[in-house]
Amino acid sequence: MSVNIMTEHNGIDQSSTVDVFRSEVREWLAANAPRESLLPWTSREGFDQHRAWEQTLFEGGYAAVDWPIEYGGRGADLRLTMAFAEEYYRVRAPERVNMGGLYLLGPVLMQYGTEEQRARWIPDLLACNTIWCQGFSEPGSGSDLASLSTRAVRDGDHFVVNGQKTWTSMGGFADWIFALVRTDPEAAKHRKHSGITFLCIDLRTPGVEVRPLAMVDGTKGFAEVFFTDVRVPVENVVGGVDQGWKVAMSTLGFERGAVFGDHAKFSNDVAALAGLVRRRGLEQDTLALDELGRVLVETEVYRANVYRLAALAEAGGNLDQTASINKLFWTEMQHDIFATGLRLMAEEGGVVGGDREVLPGVDPVTAHAWKDWHHRYWYARAAMIFGGTSEIQRNIISERVLGLPMEPRPT
Amino acid sequence: MTETLDLDRRQLDEVTKVLLDRHCGLEYLRERMDAGEAHQPALWNRLAETGLVSALVADEAGGAGLTPRHLPGVLHATGYHGVPEPFLETAVLGVTILGAYAEDPWVADQLRALAEGSLLVAVRLAVLDPHVAFAAQSDLLLDVADDGTVTAYPTAEVAVTSLEAVDPLRPVARVALPGSGRVLGVDPALARRVRTLAVAGSACQLAGAARRLLDLTVEYVSVRHQFGRPIGSFQAVKHKIADVAVGVDMAEAAAMGALDAVDEPDAAARAAAAKAYAGDAAARANVEALQLHGGIGFTWEYHLHFWLKRVMALSVAYGTTAAHRRGLAADLLNRTGRREPGHE
Ligand SMILES: Cc1cc2nc3c(=O)[nH]c(=O)nc-3n(C[C@H](O)[C@H](O)[C@H](O)COP(=O)(O)OP(=O)(O)OC[C@H]3O[C@@H](n4cnc5c(N)ncnc54)[C@H](O)[C@@H]3O)c2cc1C
Repeated sequence: MSVNIMTEHNGIDQSSTVDVFRSEVREWLAANAPRESLLPWTSREGFDQHRAWEQTLFEGGYAAVDWPIEYGGRGADLRLTMAFAEEYYRVRAPERVNMGGLYLLGPVLMQYGTEEQRARWIPDLLACNTIWCQGFSEPGSGSDLASLSTRAVRDGDHFVVNGQKTWTSMGGFADWIFALVRTDPEAAKHRKHSGITFLCIDLRTPGVEVRPLAMVDGTKGFAEVFFTDVRVPVENVVGGVDQGWKVAMSTLGFERGAVFGDHAKFSNDVAALAGLVRRRGLEQDTLALDELGRVLVETEVYRANVYRLAALAEAGGNLDQTASINKLFWTEMQHDIFATGLRLMAEEGGVVGGDREVLPGVDPVTAHAWKDWHHRYWYARAAMIFGGTSEIQRNIISERVLGLPMEPRPT
Repeated sequence: MTETLDLDRRQLDEVTKVLLDRHCGLEYLRERMDAGEAHQPALWNRLAETGLVSALVADEAGGAGLTPRHLPGVLHATGYHGVPEPFLETAVLGVTILGAYAEDPWVADQLRALAEGSLLVAVRLAVLDPHVAFAAQSDLLLDVADDGTVTAYPTAEVAVTSLEAVDPLRPVARVALPGSGRVLGVDPALARRVRTLAVAGSACQLAGAARRLLDLTVEYVSVRHQFGRPIGSFQAVKHKIADVAVGVDMAEAAAMGALDAVDEPDAAARAAAAKAYAGDAAARANVEALQLHGGIGFTWEYHLHFWLKRVMALSVAYGTTAAHRRGLAADLLNRTGRREPGHE
């Protein structure tokens, strides 16, 4: 397939102002966004609903407005990208699935992929025909990612992969995995970051076994992935054989860095908290006002930071040094929002939704919202662990951003 | 347009840094602290000669005709260097108020004197702050009432009671206004703008002072050794500092962004959020900075306390963290209450 065939959507008229683009998006969302909230993506049925929505977004030209036009995006600059997200979350459109593809692999391919790889994977990724998952963590290698031991041995024009990945988000629903594998164990004896390769693997390849795992909330949101003599073509390597660590770091940079526009999502959550305060009749309660005010302040600060980073990026600045600070801040803010919500629910915070009969006096919408709130609360807890734990972010901030003396490393 | 703004800002920041590095260093602050007097004409005159005091004064009145959007970095620097002068009060708030009435010849004279560096202005914003910073040091006191009435008083005619301030280098006072001031006008929009500038401007200063605490701490733990290694290599130490760094960085984003947004419709809310957050972040910096300095940080002799006290002073100036939070929460409840309820 040639790259040009991918050009399905027109770029945005560069003279188009934010307001014009906003009203275009607003109109489209009004006509197309699902009126009722979808089932959670952690069930098969819910996942299919989300995938169908992603396909609608793609057809409308809104799957990734900020991507270059030749890759199926709209070439939107950051102002327009943020306007899109603000509108998206304003109507509370569904959570995006295929995050691994959209926010991680896509940008990585643009940085390190070959033209051929981009043409091969990006269109399907964008149309949500393929769901991608991230195969970094292993049972023995979490925070110490570079100690990973999944092996890939060259055999002609293939690699033969053996090993195991774990905590793989959406693993049970995914079609492809981008994985870190060890291709040169000798190199690792000198420097453990050497000899690692970033490899894309079709999960339907013989020898791959995916076992969905139930998460703390009972849903099967992640999985273990086992590889037994899995043959993967060499052309699936991204960024060069043994050169995977820098590709992995770039992936984690995208995972930790600002997602331009997601501040609007948190503002919705704080508005929902305001609704909760009102329903509980706490409008005059100074403690409730203080709690609500604190999380509101945090979301405002986060918005200010997103705009600052956008300005920095537009001026050609480097955001590498900002990613860990951003991740630590937003994950703690997100936790604060959801934990505050549970506190404001008071005794009801111990009840995970339910219908009218079990929760008399509570309307179904509220009951649904409660369930959703709990779901998102657990997600907030997870976010402090995935993408590098909060402690790892603190290590990075102190040693690499502030330049504090390194910890003595085991010799 | 934005490019020139950026360029101007960079130049202003550079000029300010050079001046304060040279003339408002540790020895200078020590000397002011020992003298028990914050303001000193020599430093103020330098700020005036460099054009910083008159930056916001209109060209025709002898200033540079800049806007508050030019000043986030300058205000940050006044916090970072612990400047013991009413820069925010005189050069930002005072000029904004007087500038609005500059056609009044008396006001024009005051403004000219201010631009030359010979008139210090203190501003009373009773809705935000029960105290008035630098009142006893000022020549002119401007009262901006809640309803927008702006009144000028020669400070000599005002009963000023100096209070024992947590930060001796940011003196505060209680003032009792005489019945007869010079009413400059009634302008609620101007009053709102002045309040927003006070809140956002002090947030910038606070972020700057907190940044200084962070830098001092990073520096200290990198050189101080215990157990045969720099204490900064201990993870317990690092992690506290990392948390301080996140707070300081985000406080800067919010505070400097709020001042930049002073002309936007939601300027007041942004300023309040920035001030509340900066107060929190600075409180964390305050606690950890002293903790990680150990005994030396607890001495009068060591300079850490200049900034410990500055952040304490600024975090209650122009509205406490709690007041801003609750005000924002109440506004949100009002706003979302009208179009009932937002549970999708
Ligand atoms: C919901 C969820 C989804 C996930 N999705 C994915 C995914 O899609 N793909 C993927 O590859 N991984 C995924 N992960 C895995 C995640 O990246 C790891 O869990 C994480 O990196 C931590 O590794 P670990 O679980 O082995 O914990 P460990 O590394 O064993 O850490 C345990 C504790 O020790 C602390 N610790 C470890 N090392 C240090 C240190 N040097 N200094 C201070 N403290 C330290 C940690 O901070 C943590 O508190 C997911 C995890 C969760 C919870």
